[in-house]
Amino acid sequence: MRVHDTLLGLFFAALAVAILILTADFPSFPGQKYGPSLFPRILGVGILVCAVVIAWRGWRESRRTGGRRIVAVDAAFADPGKLASFLLVPAGVGFYLLAADRLGFIPTAFALLAGLFLWFRVRPLPALAIAALTTGLMQWFFGTLMRVPLPRGLFMQLIHGG
Amino acid sequence: MSSAILAAFGLVFDPYVLTVILLSAIFGLFVGAMPGLTATMATALLVPVTFFMSPVPALGAIVTATAMAIFAGDIPAAMLRMPGTPASAAYTDESYAMSRKGQLELNLGVNLVFSVLGGLIGVLVLILAAPSLAELAINFSSFEYFWLACLGLTCAIFISTGDPVKGFLSLFVGLAIGCIGIDPAAGYPRFTFGNVDLMSGINFIPTMIGVFAVSELMRGVMTVDQAGRPVQEKVGALFRGLGEVTRKYWTNFLRGSAVGTLIGALPGAGADIAAWVSYAMAKRFSKEPEKFGTGHIEGIVESTSANNSAIGGAWIPALVFGIPGDSITAIVIGVLYMKGMNPGPTVFLENPQLIYAVFIIFILANLLMLPLGYAAIRGARHLLAIPKNVLLPIILLFCVVGSFAMTNSPYGIVLMLIFGVVGWLMEENGIPVAPLILGLVLGELLEHSFMTSMIKSDGEFLVFFQRPIAGLLGALTLTTWGLMLWRGLRPARAAI
Repeated sequence: MRVHDTLLGLFFAALAVAILILTADFPSFPGQKYGPSLFPRILGVGILVCAVVIAWRGWRESRRTGGRRIVAVDAAFADPGKLASFLLVPAGVGFYLLAADRLGFIPTAFALLAGLFLWFRVRPLPALAIAALTTGLMQWFFGTLMRVPLPRGLFMQLIHGG
Repeated sequence: MSSAILAAFGLVFDPYVLTVILLSAIFGLFVGAMPGLTATMATALLVPVTFFMSPVPALGAIVTATAMAIFAGDIPAAMLRMPGTPASAAYTDESYAMSRKGQLELNLGVNLVFSVLGGLIGVLVLILAAPSLAELAINFSSFEYFWLACLGLTCAIFISTGDPVKGFLSLFVGLAIGCIGIDPAAGYPRFTFGNVDLMSGINFIPTMIGVFAVSELMRGVMTVDQAGRPVQEKVGALFRGLGEVTRKYWTNFLRGSAVGTLIGALPGAGADIAAWVSYAMAKRFSKEPEKFGTGHIEGIVESTSANNSAIGGAWIPALVFGIPGDSITAIVIGVLYMKGMNPGPTVFLENPQLIYAVFIIFILANLLMLPLGYAAIRGARHLLAIPKNVLLPIILLFCVVGSFAMTNSPYGIVLMLIFGVVGWLMEENGIPVAPLILGLVLGELLEHSFMTSMIKSDGEFLVFFQRPIAGLLGALTLTTWGLMLWRGLRPARAAI
């Protein structure tokens, strides 16, 4: 997804302005000339300068070449299957974020893997088997060996009774 | 010193550490050989695992995995015309042309042996250069560190092939993201909006997993059903004809290793750029440049040596100054900070055994590459047959769990998701992501040295140049900036 340089520049310019406005509230300390606002302000100006140059170049180029699409989307996205595959990556992470605390790591990870495998046309039986095996390995490695507090959720409560 | 070296041997030759090295070698070979999975991604995925280890096995895992991955990238380049990592992209067509001529064995043999030799040269330079540079660096004050960080970050953009304005934009945004959280000088929470998670700052590891791994997955799922078929099913004798190649092209090997080490040591440029530059140099100085592109071994000797020597080179500024030589060492520096070992010359004084341990692991990893690389080439047919539609979901889950493990809360996963999307959008729009990560890693050092210098000099900017080395570094930085400005303005004037 290519955004026109003018728009890209304007976006970052807005970001820079936001940084500069936010730093206005930072406190200064008596007897100290340079406070916590100095460094972010320099960065804000840096972002602003780059953003303006990018926007200006984009504008000049589109005047010369007669303009270009504001947002150009890769041709592969026209295929709904590919678009769905692409969106499934962030959506899968989103699903994990929403479900893991309630359901627990094991059912969430299994559902995420099995769902993605089936979508990517792994045959059902291997898909479920690999999903179960991988989930088990992750739980063992991170949960047991590395002692990462993976969410227990309903699943573990049912097994361990709370 | 000798007792430190002895202690280092003790640290490395421990069954646990050796097992970690062996496993990460296999992991590195696997990730490197899979097209679409890069050496940087291998490192990013390793970090959550190494997080729980002591420094020596953690660094050993990263060193070994990256060295293996950079070599292993050559295998699918020759067999499928798909570089396993970007570092092999420079000579992928040449390698494939050789395979089509029936020289797959010679090609892979050369790639393996010269990767090992190039890697060893890079390590040799690292071993010779790093301690003496550290002796120099021990006298550095905040002024020198300020200019060094500026120069390092500028080099990262100067060397990269893309648009310098977008490079600087990425860098500034990275530095600004580094400002989120408690400020290092006054302890004031900046840009946190009252959020407790943001108070702890933007955790570097989930950010990097997002930028380097999740965005890569988003690109990878689009082509999940495209798989290549190896040109040839069986691999014969690998080392036949190697002696002749070595006799004929040993100057290419030496030049490639030297250039690779140097480019690796320059901040911001790593194995991929080293390979491109060396391939171009080989062609430029060749007696038979017309043969390039038709399956000619000369350029491959030079660039396959270069990309492996760059790995050792990149560790020089990382260990001595705490300034990363490429995106992999940027991750290493993050790991060092996590382990409470602030990279810089003091590590050489306080923990010399750790530095020597890194050197020993480097040598060991390169030597291990010969048998393991050989085995990987032999088993490549099976390795390359692993379907991507199984692999990508597993990597995604690994990213999620790894990011969670860094913060022990969903905050890590949220960061990973945001920066995965941001990283993808940036790359789509020609904004390089490496400067963002370098900025995030170096932000605190840069701000700290800058603020200390400002307070020491009472805002007098000339003081920044008064110490001799600081003056030299400052002048060098300003010259680079001037050069970039000139380069940037020239086409504009030509257009008007």
